Amino acid sequence: MSATILTLRAGSAGRIDMSGVLPETTAGRSPAQIAAMTVRLDGQAVPLGELFEVGPDVGEALLIRAEAARLDCLGRDMTGGTLRVQGPAGHYAGQGMRGGELVITGDAGDFAASGMRGGLLRVHGNAGDWLGAALIGERTGMAGGVVAVAGDVGARLGDRMRRGLVLVRGRAGNACGARMLAGTLVVAGGCGDLAGFALRRGSLILGRAPDRLPATFNDAGVADLTWLGLLQRHAQGILPDVVPGSGRMRRHMGDLAFGGKGEVLVPE
Amino acid sequence: MIVNGILVDDTYAEAFAMKATRIIITADSLTWAKHAANAAFGFATSVIACGCEAGIEQELAPEATPDGRPGVAGLLFAVSTKELAKQLERRVGQCILTCPSTAVFAGCQGEESLPLGKNLRYFGDGWQVSKLVAGRRYWRIPVMDGEFLAEESTGLMRSVGGGNFLVLARSRGQALAACAAAAAAIARVPGAIAPFPGGVVRSGSKVGSKYKALPASTNDAYCPTLRGVARTALSPEVEAVLEIVIDAVTDADMRVAMRAGMDAVLAVGAAGGIVRLSAGNYGGKLGQFHYPLREILA
Repeated sequence: MSATILTLRAGSAGRIDMSGVLPETTAGRSPAQIAAMTVRLDGQAVPLGELFEVGPDVGEALLIRAEAARLDCLGRDMTGGTLRVQGPAGHYAGQGMRGGELVITGDAGDFAASGMRGGLLRVHGNAGDWLGAALIGERTGMAGGVVAVAGDVGARLGDRMRRGLVLVRGRAGNACGARMLAGTLVVAGGCGDLAGFALRRGSLILGRAPDRLPATFNDAGVADLTWLGLLQRHAQGILPDVVPGSGRMRRHMGDLAFGGKGEVLVPE
Repeated sequence: MIVNGILVDDTYAEAFAMKATRIIITADSLTWAKHAANAAFGFATSVIACGCEAGIEQELAPEATPDGRPGVAGLLFAVSTKELAKQLERRVGQCILTCPSTAVFAGCQGEESLPLGKNLRYFGDGWQVSKLVAGRRYWRIPVMDGEFLAEESTGLMRSVGGGNFLVLARSRGQALAACAAAAAAIARVPGAIAPFPGGVVRSGSKVGSKYKALPASTNDAYCPTLRGVARTALSPEVEAVLEIVIDAVTDADMRVAMRAGMDAVLAVGAAGGIVRLSAGNYGGKLGQFHYPLREILA
């Protein structure tokens, strides 16, 4: 697929809010029109062309090249198409995303996929804290779509997550799945302390059992869970070999202080 | 038209528009998937008194099922959406939910849908869990061997029911052998089932009866023991008539299935005791679909 290419100019400084620079807003526009679009540099509106080289090619997809993690809100409110970020992304990548595919070949900052409702966010590197979580003051975090992280993620993965699927090949930090309302988190590399703290519903599937779970989780024994076969098949096409191949898992139900309808599944 | 010594009547089968759905049943082994399917699709030979017509469409290898376990695809047909929904829920609830290790999934998508696990989830008494995978909702219902997994809904298809042909033979044994071959051939056709026991019917019916309460009664013109007392459609050498009834997802599937079944009978030939191939119809006034035997065999 042909792509519009934006390359961050060397020598600029400050954080850039990339809201509105999306495949659906650049498609069909000339390089000059794209260069005239507005972005915010440290809160001040500036033409996109001052910060980025545009083109020379234009196309349906969008490719953004950046050397440093200064671009925030990449793919924010995106509804379709493909946005590829070559290099690291700043914070809030994929925020409020509703469709399409956002690919970050480097690392992603904090609060990636917060408020996400649909689409696919791929992070080839690591992701920061609060991935798929609610923004401070928001009631719910991610509410749909799929996030696939090839590396590690920080703390508070899926905090207040409402719906959707997050796949992590590496490790997650502390409080993974804390206050989750529903949805599914898969962390192949295990996680830190307080996994599933205040979990209401939803599933936290860990490739490695944590050293300890909150005391408000009860061991529900070992079971063959058919739905994991379903999930495994689905996830295999997104991030292979992250969901355990066997549906036989030990189930811990909790958080019993918050209804106890969530689950932490670990290999037997 | 005579093929392999068998006379093919210049007539047609008359079939009807029906509502249908396909479901996929999986289990730890094909044996248990078939136990569930046989129970769910049992007593589903005719809409006249069973509520629906149903059967196993095909066996599925683990690679072809949603959860990677062996399974079967089954088709259910009914005269109305409401009746189909009722039969589906009852049969899944009583025969698949109850069968160890099984799960049930939608086997088709449509503009309209039918509840599959949508209402059965309440069996979980509050412990049921919903999961959205690839945009489709599933219910995990705790049961005594673990969890029963059921997709929330399945699709509704507009289909064809009641395609048929009659096999007239010199003996019951020869008619049965030819029909068994036909049923086996139809079983290999995707999108079609022969819902009667073994795929074969011996009690073909005509519309109406001398008894006012009965909408249908025995097809006396094809009953060999009534020759001489009722108007007969049988020549003297015919001792037995068996019927193959087919339900299919599409008109094209019906034609393929009828062709496959009739070819199997024709392959038996007159040497196997088969005298004629015919079909049941109601003068063309009741069914929306007509399947002329000779055209299908051409």
